[in-house]
Amino acid sequence: MDARIVWTCMLVALALAGGVGCTHVAPYERGKLAHPMMTADDLEGPAAAHVLAVHEGATGGGSLSESGCGCN
Amino acid sequence: MQLTASARRPAHLRLPYLVAVAALLAATAEVQQARGSDSSDTDQTSTARDEGAANRKKAEDRPPLEDTATEHASMEFAAYNDSDHVSVVTPSLAAGIDNVSGGSLNASYLVDIVSAASADIVSTASRRWEEIRQAGSLSGQYKPHDFGVGVGGSVSREPDYLSYGVYATMVKDFDEKNWTLNFGYGFSHDTAGRCGAEGGLGASSCTPFSVFSRDLQRGSFNAGISWVVDRASLASLSTDLVIENGDQSKVYRYIPMFSPSVAASVPNGASIDYVNAVRLPERPLEQLPLERHRFALTGRYAHRYDGSTLRLDERFYSDDWGLIASSTDVRWIFDVGKRFAVWPHARLHVQKGASFWEKAYVSNNPNGDPNTWDLPLYRTGDRELGPLWTTVGGMGLKWYLGKEAEPRSWQLGFSGDAMYTAYLDDLYVTNRVAFLGSLTLEAEW
Repeated sequence: MDARIVWTCMLVALALAGGVGCTHVAPYERGKLAHPMMTADDLEGPAAAHVLAVHEGATGGGSLSESGCGCN
Repeated sequence: MQLTASARRPAHLRLPYLVAVAALLAATAEVQQARGSDSSDTDQTSTARDEGAANRKKAEDRPPLEDTATEHASMEFAAYNDSDHVSVVTPSLAAGIDNVSGGSLNASYLVDIVSAASADIVSTASRRWEEIRQAGSLSGQYKPHDFGVGVGGSVSREPDYLSYGVYATMVKDFDEKNWTLNFGYGFSHDTAGRCGAEGGLGASSCTPFSVFSRDLQRGSFNAGISWVVDRASLASLSTDLVIENGDQSKVYRYIPMFSPSVAASVPNGASIDYVNAVRLPERPLEQLPLERHRFALTGRYAHRYDGSTLRLDERFYSDDWGLIASSTDVRWIFDVGKRFAVWPHARLHVQKGASFWEKAYVSNNPNGDPNTWDLPLYRTGDRELGPLWTTVGGMGLKWYLGKEAEPRSWQLGFSGDAMYTAYLDDLYVTNRVAFLGSLTLEAEW
């Protein structure tokens, strides 16, 4: 693994995160954040997630519970 | 009379047996306690009968206990088809229960029915094959306040492949849930075997794992942070480190070899007949490195506008096989009245191939001995390890069918995606067009 790429990605991500920033939002101000489409879960179903995993050589960012590739 | 000692229960069965007995006794005690508060059936004195009647009256006046749990279930039917003659049908079920105390339990089950006659299969003179994969998962989480833990497990089974995995997660909220840290570790073990005569799939006979199998172990570390950006925006960053040990080379994948002079002139997307005409006689099995260390960094951003939700995902990926990738995913979900939501979906995946990727592998025959070939140490025909880009475009729709007060308690969903993949340096295939559609029914009560 090219460590420079990893560190570059980390720095870019941290810079973006810093740019996005954050502020304290009280619980009673979170009406919009409680909308169901703001869920942290993936919106795609199990079949779509599996197709993407097989189509792309990359992985990560998903659930830890996946197993098996179905592509032997 | 001779007394004969009964066989002792094995130690590994004794504990569940004792737990079951203890649970039964506890349940019995609960029932007795409940009956004690309404004991007029067994008490024969008039005083006791009066008390019993009063207790009954109290119980009738008391409001009924509410079920504080939320149960949910969903089923999905998905179908995939691509221009490389692969089709997959995937029905799946999922169910779960969430309690107000912070506990939740979820389970899922799916079946993949795969039918394939791709270029890789046809090039090895094999027929179309069909295979069924079954996968199930079970997970639980307990998060009463700002700290939670979760555990889960999954199993996936094909005739020639068995995989199981377990994982544990930990989550902690800070600053009135304005930001959250999460950590996780997962372990999975895969066993790959072989089915069919001469390696051809589709035959009913499989070699037992005890005779031939390859093991792959995978450890996954995950850490992430998510935070409230403002009153309408959420963001998260997560990292994944996956360490794989074992031989994940496909036992059905034969790699054509070429002389140095021919390899340089083999075009992208060559026909099977062309390759068979110019390749060398030997055709070894695929061989991949026995270790792989993967790293991924994923960022997510979601913003709620008046009447719509924008979701952006970006993943950077790198591994020690030299594969580097970027995946960008965008969905913009629009509310259409109270009963519908519709969204466009776009995704772009770009990757650089693994360091040992070659469109045409070179083999030398230095001594002129037809049985001695100088093969490359690593060789693969898995085009997902080569340079490629994929673009996805599609639509999704949700129809909320519940009652007026809770329209989202029943949901019917449809999504359809078209995918185009360009293989920039592949022997048989230069592109693939694929379609994936799914129909989902979800209920919550």
